[in-house]
Amino acid sequence: MTVELLAARAGLARVCAVASAEAGPPSPAEISKAFAEGRPDSLADAYRCWSSLIFTLALRALGNRADAEDVTQQVFVSAWRGRANFDPDSGQLGAWLTGITRHRIADRLAARGRDLRNTEVAAQLAGERPAVQVVDDLTVDRVLIADELDRLGDPRRTILKLAFYEDCTYPQIAERLDLPLGTVKSHVRRGLLHLRDRLKEVTGDDTSR
Amino acid sequence: MTTHLDDDLLARWALGDEAPDGPAADHLQSCQRCAGSLAELRQVLDAAGDLPRLESPPAEVWSRITDELSLDPDRAEPTVIPLPDARRTPNASVRRFRGRALVAAAAVAAVLGAGVGVGATLIVQDDEKPTVQAVVPLSALEGRSGTGTADLLKAASGEQLKVTASGLAAAAGYYEVWMINTDGKRMVSLGVLDPSSAGTFQLPAQLIAQGYRIVDISLEPDDGNPEHSRNSIIRGTLPA
Repeated sequence: MTVELLAARAGLARVCAVASAEAGPPSPAEISKAFAEGRPDSLADAYRCWSSLIFTLALRALGNRADAEDVTQQVFVSAWRGRANFDPDSGQLGAWLTGITRHRIADRLAARGRDLRNTEVAAQLAGERPAVQVVDDLTVDRVLIADELDRLGDPRRTILKLAFYEDCTYPQIAERLDLPLGTVKSHVRRGLLHLRDRLKEVTGDDTSR
Repeated sequence: MTTHLDDDLLARWALGDEAPDGPAADHLQSCQRCAGSLAELRQVLDAAGDLPRLESPPAEVWSRITDELSLDPDRAEPTVIPLPDARRTPNASVRRFRGRALVAAAAVAAVLGAGVGVGATLIVQDDEKPTVQAVVPLSALEGRSGTGTADLLKAASGEQLKVTASGLAAAAGYYEVWMINTDGKRMVSLGVLDPSSAGTFQLPAQLIAQGYRIVDISLEPDDGNPEHSRNSIIRGTLPA
């Protein structure tokens, strides 16, 4: 129990990497609310909480670091300017930012397609497949799962990371973390269900898919 | 009213812990909703089989955002810490020396044929088995290759860091484990890592609490210079 408690505390602290001095890090729900209210600190909190998710999404979809940096910048700038359109009661800020990211990535891919058409000889391209301009759902799912995994409390987070990133078997995880086999199995099952639910929450109401 | 299969059972099937049989299997055949749920779980597992490592944007992205919005950038800290300049760090050589003492202990054990990982574990002589407090992935910096994990352990003697790496190039020189402070100004060497095995390093008391949370593996040339080569290969950040 002590181990789990200790680990759980470490996991909680991880949710948003940098804590404010007294009160501990604001939760995603608190950040969402403060963001909707336009409190200046909330943009920085949102950036700490979701910039890796957004940058990694853009990087994986676009395959180019400079483009991914541009998209990350655009997402936060346009989210802040358009914060009046965000309703914290209808979902978390992370999901809303993910939606904006998908649109920005799609814009960028479309622009690349145009550039390609402009710079290549048209005849050469005639009959060839057009450049891919949609964001690959599997790529997005993978980044979202990786991000959700990171936000889980321990020991579940560590257990699932060992299972997914390191292909550890149940007995290997149990031995490594010194936990009963049954506990490990149960965390993997519940973790899987949680990841499925979160993925549906983020992607379920996204009309661009 | 139809009773549907519970999520826990579906998760067991998706994970292959159990195979569907009996009335539950019959239900699965005839129920679109349950078959759909099972398919969703399998889809998550398929995707999870090849997860990317999350990467943080470089620090200048935040300043670009605050510039564009004319906000005060000091309201946030950069999320990516650049390598501190060891040459300007006060007491760097003193800190470095402490690191060396640990390296020496590990090296002695290695000579005895025990391997660095086992050797370093000898530092801890308590009967109590260390407990794992956190495991963070170490991922390759741009243009580098390799992965690893850093396990933060709590032993009776204090905190330890177990570092495992794979895919590090067999380059000239040696790999060294550093703890970099999130203030981007200070760092401490923990010692030499054998890239083919794991190494466990005792952490000075309060190190993590003071903000030394970034685990950095560098490739060091055999040039006798005790400072960081500035050639970082893989990195990860421990939870606060």
